Amino acid sequence: MPTGLDQLQHIVVLMMENRSFDHMLGSLPGIGGLDDAGAYTNPDTNGNPVRPQPLAEFQAQLQPDPDHHFPAVDLQIFGGNTGPNRQPNMQGFVKSFFNQQGDVGHSQKIMYYFPKEKLPVLTTLAQQFAVFNRWFASIPGPTICNRAFAHYGTSFGRVDLNPIYPPEHIKSIYTRLINATPKHTAKIYYYDTASSTMEVANLLQNQPELFGTYGQFLDDCKRGNLPEYSFIEPNYSDHETDSGEEIANDQHPDHHVQAGELFIATIYQAIKDNPQLWQNTALLITYDEHGGIFDHVPPPSCVKDIFTADGNATGTGVPFQFDRLGVRVPSVLVSPWIPRGTIVSRVFDHASIPATITKFFLGDAAPRSPREINADVFIEPRTANVDPARNVLSLTAMRTDCPDFDV
Amino acid sequence: MTLIKVPVTLPQSAYDPDRPISSLLKMQVEHLYQAEKRLPPRYQSGTYVNAIRTEGEAARYIRDVTEAIHEAHEDAERIRRTPKRKRVMEIAAVVDERAERERARRMTKKRSSSKRRSKS
Repeated sequence: MPTGLDQLQHIVVLMMENRSFDHMLGSLPGIGGLDDAGAYTNPDTNGNPVRPQPLAEFQAQLQPDPDHHFPAVDLQIFGGNTGPNRQPNMQGFVKSFFNQQGDVGHSQKIMYYFPKEKLPVLTTLAQQFAVFNRWFASIPGPTICNRAFAHYGTSFGRVDLNPIYPPEHIKSIYTRLINATPKHTAKIYYYDTASSTMEVANLLQNQPELFGTYGQFLDDCKRGNLPEYSFIEPNYSDHETDSGEEIANDQHPDHHVQAGELFIATIYQAIKDNPQLWQNTALLITYDEHGGIFDHVPPPSCVKDIFTADGNATGTGVPFQFDRLGVRVPSVLVSPWIPRGTIVSRVFDHASIPATITKFFLGDAAPRSPREINADVFIEPRTANVDPARNVLSLTAMRTDCPDFDV
Repeated sequence: MTLIKVPVTLPQSAYDPDRPISSLLKMQVEHLYQAEKRLPPRYQSGTYVNAIRTEGEAARYIRDVTEAIHEAHEDAERIRRTPKRKRVMEIAAVVDERAERERARRMTKKRSSSKRRSKS
């Protein structure tokens, strides 16, 4: 048994908002970013090719919020081709953004990405630990249903932002853990009550005891009281509190991207500053979906789910059987047992989160959705024969050269 | 060990609670509104959600309903955890009342029967 896996007691997942892989990490060489994209461009509405440029700004550029609902993402991925047997070509981002404001110059900004110097936290973590260059949103659509895949392994047939009321038989990863014998521990940390959670209809309404605040997360890190599985939600809004102004740090356009960098760094440092926690915790940082922003890698098809969204629900007139993933998102796994510069090129989506947590802590608990059953895991389960080619926590000795962030 | 500097001071313009509410926050407000309708009236905020226009306004409502959901569950848990002794005494009191009513009913029946016998 590899020591990193043997020592692992806590898995923490932070899910940020609405940024694509190329937009955030595309500037890094050798990881399947833009140096891998060849002459990738997108046509604007005049037919002129628009190439990606390192001109992304932290705020006030992607306005209005780029459309990331199902029909818009369909256009972005398939370039406007609605025929049968169509293949994704990632040619519709500029056209889609044009639809929102009718301004050709403005529409080209959807092809802007961040130079790595502007994102020192995320790019450092991607280079220092493991970056997944084939982690996709679970569905080509918006936040609520993509986050549902992270909690349940399915969105129960939803492709929109409406509340999800799961049927009894597929439990959230949190319920599986706390109802298991022996009992395991799990918590969702939302930022504060004014930001709350996106999982309202089921988990907050029915199991509010699952939730804690970000302040509690920091305290739990300090005291070594983290549960076995933690899911962190960022701050979704600028708002006032009794202790002052809280700035949104989810990086959802048009929130300031640097606020999210600071948030990620603080979470990383909270874990690292407790030496006991640092050696037995793995932190996954990912994004729920691409937010309408460009990426050059076509999402692959996948195993169908047992649910179908009909043509009215998708808004395209064509049903969707959850047999294609959404656009690629940044995903980084942090642990001192991961060799520097690890690149994982297997395909993942957010169903991989409950798949991993279930297999690691519970084994093959049923019932689960076909999407989750077939999703790859980002941490190998502890078995007698761990495949070294798949195990990311592969070092025999813990690293002592991991960076610190000055927060 | 490398120490990476992270900008901790953001421009004042970064913070804008008057920013128009996004579709995501609008949906979150709607989800919480649906949840709030299931709460007993004493936990409800009395907010007209259609009038929420900004992030700051949304955040206030989100906080109110989130805290109300927690409070409602905590209150229910508190009632569930009422000490068993008190519950036993309450059950005993109910049994006493029932026994007393039964005795009274039998007395009434007895009096009626003896009245009928004396008339005949």
